[in-house]
Amino acid sequence: MMLFRLLSWPYLRRHLVRWILTVAGIVLGVGVFVAMHTANRSIFSAFDRTVDQIAGSTQLQVSAGEFGFDESVLERVQSVREVGIAVPVIEATVDTNIPGQGSILILGIDMTGDRNLRDYELKDADEAIMDDPLVFLAQPDSLMVTQEFAGRNNLTVNSKIPLSTIEGIQQFTVRGIMSSTGMTRAFGGNFAVMDIYAAQQVLGRGRRFDRIDVRAKDGITIDECQAALKATLGPSFDVDPPSARGRHFEALLQSYSTAMMISSLFALMVGMFIIYNSFAIAVTHRRAEIGILRALGATRGQIQRLFLLESIVAGTLGSVVGAVVGIAAALGIARWISRVLETAGGVAQRVSELQVDASLIALAIVAGTGTSVLAAWIPARNAARVDPVQALQKGKYQVLSVGENRRRRWIALAAFLIASVCLFFSYSKPFFYTGYVLMIGAGLLLAPALTLLLSKTLRPILKRILPAEGTLAADSLVEAPRRTSATVSALMLSLAMVVGFGGFAHSFYSSIQEWMDNALNPDFFVAPSENLATRSLTFPAEISSVIERVDGVDQVQVVRDARVTYHDVPVMVISIETEKVASTVHRTPVAGSLEEMNRLTAEGKGLFVSESFATNLKTKMGDVVELPTPSGLLKLPIVGIIRDYSDLRGSLFIDRSVYRDWWKDDTANIARVYVKKGENVEAVRQRVINTLSSQYRLLVLTNREVRDWIMKLLDQWFAMTYNQIVVAVLVAVLGIVNTLTVSITDRKRELGVMQAVGGLRKQIRWTVWIEALTIGVIGLILGTCLGAVNLYYTLGMIKRDLGGIGLDYIFPSAFMILMVPIILGAAWIAALGPAEAAVRGSLVEALEYE
Amino acid sequence: MSRVLTSAFSTFFVLLQVDPRQIVEEAQRRTTTQSQRYEGTLRVIDARNKVTEKRWQYDRIGSHGSSKAVLRFTAPPEVKGVALLVLNHPDRSSDQWMWTPALNRDRRIALQDRSTRFFGTDFSFEDLEERDTNQFDFKLLGEESLDSAVCWKVQSTPRQAKVSQYTHSYLWIRKDNYAFAQIENYDKDHLVRRAHYSDIRNDQGIWTAHQIDMHDLRRNSHTILTIEKLQYNVPMNGDAFTREALSRES
Repeated sequence: MMLFRLLSWPYLRRHLVRWILTVAGIVLGVGVFVAMHTANRSIFSAFDRTVDQIAGSTQLQVSAGEFGFDESVLERVQSVREVGIAVPVIEATVDTNIPGQGSILILGIDMTGDRNLRDYELKDADEAIMDDPLVFLAQPDSLMVTQEFAGRNNLTVNSKIPLSTIEGIQQFTVRGIMSSTGMTRAFGGNFAVMDIYAAQQVLGRGRRFDRIDVRAKDGITIDECQAALKATLGPSFDVDPPSARGRHFEALLQSYSTAMMISSLFALMVGMFIIYNSFAIAVTHRRAEIGILRALGATRGQIQRLFLLESIVAGTLGSVVGAVVGIAAALGIARWISRVLETAGGVAQRVSELQVDASLIALAIVAGTGTSVLAAWIPARNAARVDPVQALQKGKYQVLSVGENRRRRWIALAAFLIASVCLFFSYSKPFFYTGYVLMIGAGLLLAPALTLLLSKTLRPILKRILPAEGTLAADSLVEAPRRTSATVSALMLSLAMVVGFGGFAHSFYSSIQEWMDNALNPDFFVAPSENLATRSLTFPAEISSVIERVDGVDQVQVVRDARVTYHDVPVMVISIETEKVASTVHRTPVAGSLEEMNRLTAEGKGLFVSESFATNLKTKMGDVVELPTPSGLLKLPIVGIIRDYSDLRGSLFIDRSVYRDWWKDDTANIARVYVKKGENVEAVRQRVINTLSSQYRLLVLTNREVRDWIMKLLDQWFAMTYNQIVVAVLVAVLGIVNTLTVSITDRKRELGVMQAVGGLRKQIRWTVWIEALTIGVIGLILGTCLGAVNLYYTLGMIKRDLGGIGLDYIFPSAFMILMVPIILGAAWIAALGPAEAAVRGSLVEALEYE
Repeated sequence: MSRVLTSAFSTFFVLLQVDPRQIVEEAQRRTTTQSQRYEGTLRVIDARNKVTEKRWQYDRIGSHGSSKAVLRFTAPPEVKGVALLVLNHPDRSSDQWMWTPALNRDRRIALQDRSTRFFGTDFSFEDLEERDTNQFDFKLLGEESLDSAVCWKVQSTPRQAKVSQYTHSYLWIRKDNYAFAQIENYDKDHLVRRAHYSDIRNDQGIWTAHQIDMHDLRRNSHTILTIEKLQYNVPMNGDAFTREALSRES
């Protein structure tokens, strides 16, 4: 500790900027890690809380996926002896059409019995509304809103709220304001209660319920009640506690959470290289100091501990600041992701408060500090090994020993060979991930040697461009590969991440584009909401014939899709008019023949699934899928596998006739409309709008609008990834600044001499700039190579563990071309400060250095 | 002394002689009619003396245990047209449907918890059900004078098979005309609700209370049901007491 106070502290104060940069690496790494995990946790927690808050004293929920079921099921449930209370529920989020308020969660309930399950605490003046539900029930525009929502929008009893319904925007009347307790905090307070039968009408449910909330009879256990209900209803219905919805939500977001975790770990790893670089530089820088200490009797252990203590201080400080920064950023990130999920997944949750997990923060601080210690370990060990005699001699210390270099190359080669062998067994998870880690490891181990090689290769080119400055810059890099390689490694890793995620995004966009060109080819779409992910609004299928009668319309295909839980995985069931779809959409199946697939599906003898479904559910051609429906288990063989992106967890396509027969439902949520050849699409669309507006208030979206909506959704989905890429690049740029700062300090005397013998300030500046740009170039070259490998594994990982989506390997060339000016620009900006420091430093001081 | 003893003996003798079940059955028999129609006014006076009022027209066909009734609200305007169909069964709880004209559909009212208050009044759904005497045990407690009329005081206890929110009730039945004068409903030792019958008139030979004051002692609120334009044995069509008829006649 005394050594730390006497030696480390003064050194730290002298090089405060560099230390701040070093700590910033950990701050960013830990910050991203904490922010993403806290945001994720807050989202899950918000969903669980919403479920919990609106569940009241519900013990079990009877459901059949998002399709819901016929009203008659209620009587079957109520007739079960073990059931005490059973009340029907409809749940949907609808747009409030109030600026800045977004959507509101509507809970449709049967007021005559629901109070036995849920406590609607009303403000005193409105007690009569709950006490006398007659008025509430008699007026279908009745709504009870929360005190929070009413307060935010200056609503009082009898105020009107415009809500988007299947019948268009309708005015609802506030007939009660719920006090701020339990249930009213669901969905961040944007919550309202409506009569279930009114909800059926305005949400297009027909005579169907979404689920039935159940409480067991007194003296009956939940397990007994669950068993009795399952026995009565059969396998077509899910009978689970409300908490099961949280599990399904987590399963839905599993891929997103894992991707976030991986990218935050990448950010932490990049930070590790910055720390390593910093300490490696510090050891070199303080070599003379270490030599003196060793000559005065300091043991190797003391020297090693001194550096490790410094790393603990830097790591802890960076981690704590990072945790604070992460928590500060988490709420914004959580709200943003929450909105994306609501739009893309139609999942009701809203983050109003952060769920900060103390153990996660502790883990982040330990991981940050541990990363720092790990990164400093080798430099600390090297410091301990410093020979006092050599240390006190002036000279170059950044040269890698031949032995060290050779050892690294052998280890890298071994890692590469093992990783290559693992490729042959990549169907096995352990082999795949071992290969991935070893391949990245091999790249990192080879980085110093490759940095040296590239520096030497670039030297003649630099010399030719700017003889004096170019040579000096290249020599600086060649003579100090240790200093350069850590920065290059950090940059390489960041760029590998950029290529991995960028490539994934690029492949995904390309695949989606191809899918849209192929599958989403109608001239326009009729839907109850401009958010096509909204499945809680449906319309009667007879709209199809209404539209078909419109002059100029060639064909209408109605679609009904909804999520169901299949083997505990939430998947999308899409019912289509197979024969009609087959005549307009010509997909290339991944497995099976197109004609056979369409014929058997149309005849109700099979179904086809998306590739993601086949991967996630480990199914193949010919396997029989047992789908729970309100009429029993629907067993159909898989007759085709296609690439489809309707749902990332997996989609199943069945014929509409099968859907009607088994689900007893004739509603739809999308109509695909094709216009006759030669007709003006816009004119026909206008005619359809005019026809529908007299009976229904549905949206008629053009093909472009639907595509734009999907692309906007994708942009939102990937925006967080891009933000993480920016952070990773930022961390890497910090490394360049760090390296250059040290490089200037190291070469203070050299640069001083250069100035003393007549070197111009401009030349000094250019030398530093070229050095920075060269680091950028080397980082770009190595990052691109490692990125190409990383992309291969990223796509493999996505296919096998993150959604099961098969994507073509498309190297993001345009993306990387874009990264060239970004990285070089960042490197140049990073060099500005150190260059000016070199130019404006005292010449006398510089010549006295060392 | 001898008069007191004589009175005590005579009461004891009466208690031995009179079967309380017969008293209750006789009270029911005397009100048995083919049909009933009246216009009712419900005034709910809550603990803060806030008064709300609703009016309805009530039609019933059949009697005691197997009757069918339609209750159609006529005021205030926001509930006008809302109707309730009640199908009573001798062996189980009644089935009830509600018709909402604004939604143009009926809904089944699931009476899983029959202690639920009847649309904001102090009556519970159970209070509106007709009592099947076979599902209760009766005990004559004596005679008491109420509103200047001598009444039998009968304790009624639901049998095990009968699910009720009340553990027991006390019934006051007037000796002169077998009309109910008061009912007190208990949950263990606590008096939960008291229904007081007044303005008892002879309508077409049937003694009928024209005012029922239901007092919810837990909420300290009253509901007064006033009956007007009462008619018995009005010709009615059974078809009017179906779910289809609810929508037809709205």
